[in-house]
Amino acid sequence: MDDKKAAILSEIPRLRRYARSLLRDRDSADDLVQDCLERALVRLDNWQTGESPRRWLFTIMHHLFIDQMRKVNRRGEAAMLPLEAGEAQAAPADQVETIASREIMDALQAISPDRRAALVMVAIEGFSYAEAANILGVPAGTLMSRIARGREELRGLLDDTSRRRSIRIVEK
Amino acid sequence: MTRRDFSERDIHMALDGELPGEERMAYDAWLEANPEMKAKSARYIADRAAMRSAFADVMDEPVPARLRQVVLGEAPSKASAWRSRWWLSAAAAVMLAVGGLGGYVAGVDSIARGGEGDDQLAEQAIAAHVTYAAENRHAVEVPASDKDHLQTWLSNRVGLKLVAPDLAAEGFELVGGRLLPAGGQGKAAMLLYEDAKGERISLYVTADSSETSKGTYAAETGGPEAVYWLDKGYACAVVGSLPRERLSDVAKSAYGQLVAGISS
Repeated sequence: MDDKKAAILSEIPRLRRYARSLLRDRDSADDLVQDCLERALVRLDNWQTGESPRRWLFTIMHHLFIDQMRKVNRRGEAAMLPLEAGEAQAAPADQVETIASREIMDALQAISPDRRAALVMVAIEGFSYAEAANILGVPAGTLMSRIARGREELRGLLDDTSRRRSIRIVEK
Repeated sequence: MTRRDFSERDIHMALDGELPGEERMAYDAWLEANPEMKAKSARYIADRAAMRSAFADVMDEPVPARLRQVVLGEAPSKASAWRSRWWLSAAAAVMLAVGGLGGYVAGVDSIARGGEGDDQLAEQAIAAHVTYAAENRHAVEVPASDKDHLQTWLSNRVGLKLVAPDLAAEGFELVGGRLLPAGGQGKAAMLLYEDAKGERISLYVTADSSETSKGTYAAETGGPEAVYWLDKGYACAVVGSLPRERLSDVAKSAYGQLVAGISS
């Protein structure tokens, strides 16, 4: 196996984590990673030696994600997402996720894809503002405002969830 | 020390490691003097910790075979066309139950085709077998020498009372077991056995079946086959490259012991 492929293989866990935070559903997230890897392999020659494989792969995957989000938006399908999407999405119940994890995953899904990507890129994946802005293809100022708004939105959603939860407990 | 006015923007910068080092002390002093901002900062720190921990497990999951295969060029990606549309699911995850059937193991065809759940089970079991049975030192996470722990651990994770069947009568000894992701958010237990000649078979068990069915499943290009059954709320497959008769005998024995174990 050549070095490039080995480097790509070692990035898969991170790509999967990023995809999971963008899409929530495990299989869908892995499909996104697979699309990304397929595209990366076709463009292996575009990858400059010395360029971080992580940045290169994240850029490819982010473009795939955002392109599709835009197409979906143009067709108006995003309108199908009800406001309570987060809750409904948690429907495939499982014992694996803790309640806290599930709530935060759902809340992330409910914020806009642009803000979600910016926030996750910095807060979970640990990219610097400069790196994240580069990967997302936006000016640093835009990145910062997405992060700030994303955090604020996330906080509000989590507060709503815990409020609803306590109401439910009271009703019982 | 530089004196400047701080704002909420700096909370984000500090959190993300973007605040210049020489401003840190002044920032901390500002935070102390502004309880509202301090609370906000603490909350964001907590939310970030929750985000990180929610996704931490993904890093430890075994990489799905289909992703490795893309990079290693081992499998044609002919499944692309019908692979679940991740973006549709992102847009309308609530409406569409997309994604249950990850399109991996291209080129697999079933002999006795049951419902799609069967195929998925058999494909996952075969993929797990192909990936791990070939490993020498890393085939299992918990060795047979620690059988009690193995059984308890896998039972807890998979959500089933699980006993590792004794297949000595069929010539197989337990090597050990590991935990695997199953379709969706499920988890599967894989138990690996080996005979005197080093031939390996695996037993793959998940808890997410509401169907009742059984059959065999094999790749059209050869390779291991699966004998599977779905019953009593669990799904199980025995995978190996044995003659079909022998694989069936092993499966029957394993089935009997699993059922006995579950109802004991």
